[in-house]
Amino acid sequence: MSEGMELNDDARTVSGLPVKVSYGPSDVDPESASTRLPGEAPYLRGAFAEGYRSKPWRIFQLSGFGNPEDEGERIRYLLEKGETGFIMEHDRMTADHLYDVDHPDVIARSEDVGLSGAVQLSARDTALVLEGIDQKKYYAHPGGAVVQHAPFALAAYWTVARRRGVDVSTLTGTGQSDYFLTYLGCITKQQIPARDGLKINCDIVDFCHKNVPKWVPISIAGYNGADTGLNAFQELGSVFACAIEHLDETIRRGRLRVEEIARCLGGVNFRVGMDFMEDIAKLRVARKMWHDLLVSRYGVTDPRALKLRIHVVTAGSSMTYQEPMNNIVRGTLMALASILGGVQSLGVSGYDEALSIPSEQAHHMSVRIQQILMHETNLAKVVDPLGGSYYLESLCGSLEERAWTFLSEIEAQGGFISTLDSGWLHARATENQFELEHALVTGKRELVAVNVHQGDGDPFAVDGFQGTVDAFDRATVRLQELRRTRDGRGAVQALRTLEEVCRRGDNLMPAMLEAVGADASLGEIGSVMREVYGDWKVPINF
Amino acid sequence: MEGSDQLLTPTVGATIRLGGAGKRVLVAKTSLDGHWRGVSVVARALRDAGFEVILLGMVTADEIAQAAIDEDADLIGLNVGGRIEVAERIVKTLRAEGFEGPIFAGGTIPPYAIRRLSELGVECYPPGSSLQSIVEAATRLTAAEEIR
Repeated sequence: MSEGMELNDDARTVSGLPVKVSYGPSDVDPESASTRLPGEAPYLRGAFAEGYRSKPWRIFQLSGFGNPEDEGERIRYLLEKGETGFIMEHDRMTADHLYDVDHPDVIARSEDVGLSGAVQLSARDTALVLEGIDQKKYYAHPGGAVVQHAPFALAAYWTVARRRGVDVSTLTGTGQSDYFLTYLGCITKQQIPARDGLKINCDIVDFCHKNVPKWVPISIAGYNGADTGLNAFQELGSVFACAIEHLDETIRRGRLRVEEIARCLGGVNFRVGMDFMEDIAKLRVARKMWHDLLVSRYGVTDPRALKLRIHVVTAGSSMTYQEPMNNIVRGTLMALASILGGVQSLGVSGYDEALSIPSEQAHHMSVRIQQILMHETNLAKVVDPLGGSYYLESLCGSLEERAWTFLSEIEAQGGFISTLDSGWLHARATENQFELEHALVTGKRELVAVNVHQGDGDPFAVDGFQGTVDAFDRATVRLQELRRTRDGRGAVQALRTLEEVCRRGDNLMPAMLEAVGADASLGEIGSVMREVYGDWKVPINF
Repeated sequence: MEGSDQLLTPTVGATIRLGGAGKRVLVAKTSLDGHWRGVSVVARALRDAGFEVILLGMVTADEIAQAAIDEDADLIGLNVGGRIEVAERIVKTLRAEGFEGPIFAGGTIPPYAIRRLSELGVECYPPGSSLQSIVEAATRLTAAEEIR
């Protein structure tokens, strides 16, 4: 008999909270927020009284690869399948580093170009992605996951709209500007300092509030913190610590009222993984913490500001390389937890996540998983159906307590950005990374077809999506053409203005729009930003 | 776990040295994708098993080949985060520049890419490979090196 036949008796959640064999009334505080209805403060049970009856969650999948035309084709495919918003991935190499495709570091790895997003070096490239897609109709995430890239990505999307004659102030969508990705989970070779990133993010908040009022300017996103190793209460604590930095900085500027700022920042992201009940608890606790934080620390009373909206991406790290079709089940379970947690928006990782970016089939399946949950299970009819569960409410209490403690620890370190600069937050993630890997070796953690029930041959083998191979060459041609056919003087002038604005510390978004509108390239804009802001010193500490 | 509270973010230009007197493993991130969780966990497992680990930042084929020779590496570990063609080019460059030792690779390497790297004599440890199996491979590959 294999070891895997024995039941795992280490009764703790993934975050290490002890778990009893059963729960009863004595485990729940009679004064708990669970006695309040959905739509009632502090919103533990839901931000909106009518839940999915008034508004179904948004089906919102990460998508993009190769040439702009490839990415556009995949987005149109997803929209045809029933996706209700769309996400534009940019080529990571060029976008994350603000490099043009002829940068030496890119040329050295030219085959990697376009691997996980379309190459978009100018608004002309972004226009190619958006061909045949109605910007007025769809809620969009036009990229800009990495902090230093966000101003360009947003400006490119809005510039395409302007050129089409669309009124930018009517557009709906979201930015990202993700501290957890940029400074914790996916640390690139070059990045502006974390402190300057905050300035840029707050510029985006100010700019959107005035000019693109329906837009979610940035989205504080715990996903990459969690997938780098932060556990549930650490993810909660650090997401709100990050929100505090943005709230405080925007308040310090004195242009917006705290209610307005809170509304801009109240669309966040969490990761849902495979600890089903703990992750449901996490989403419920997140709503309560946002409410309590705003009321107690900032004196906010406007309910529109106090209601947290949540986007979930299911954990890529939960998807196994072995027997990838099993990941359809994992994706379904994580999506189910997200729905039971009351999210407003959801992306389900592809079943081929551990092998490659999603194939068309994997994307199709991610959308269908969501549609089956939405249409066939009756789950969309009743808000917070697990509310009052002794176990769930008890978990919420424990998680919330630990999350506030973790937030206090971050503040004792000088705040969220200080914990990135010092590497304190990275150290918390690495502790958990190691523990999780060793738990697989010792068998304390079990993954089917990985360390228990290993198969000797997968009946549903998947080879991995290969994407396109000509993205580098075609991006090079487009870049040469851009430089040849644009008004060169206008582009240079706009870049000069951008540099002056950045140096003065003014809001950089208007100048960024001018530069992108003048067909300045991503790499040229990157040169300006590197020149002004310099590089982040990555914390390495032995 | 020794050193588990220490920090390892092997993504920038800096070279990081871990551990002491054992066989010398050069671990390199080959793509410009900055995800570091996998390479960090593997590097520390190798260190804890007694290897001397030299962790390069995001490096090109030429930079890896130069480091392999300068550091007199017993084994090279490639963290493959990009396309197979880049990994193949690195292996060919290493051989052309005279590195004769064993090479193994980890990362999101799809099955078709494993087949191609195997043809070049590179052992692959895709996601889900246990730390144990990676350490065992490093031990075996560096022992074979000694016999030869």
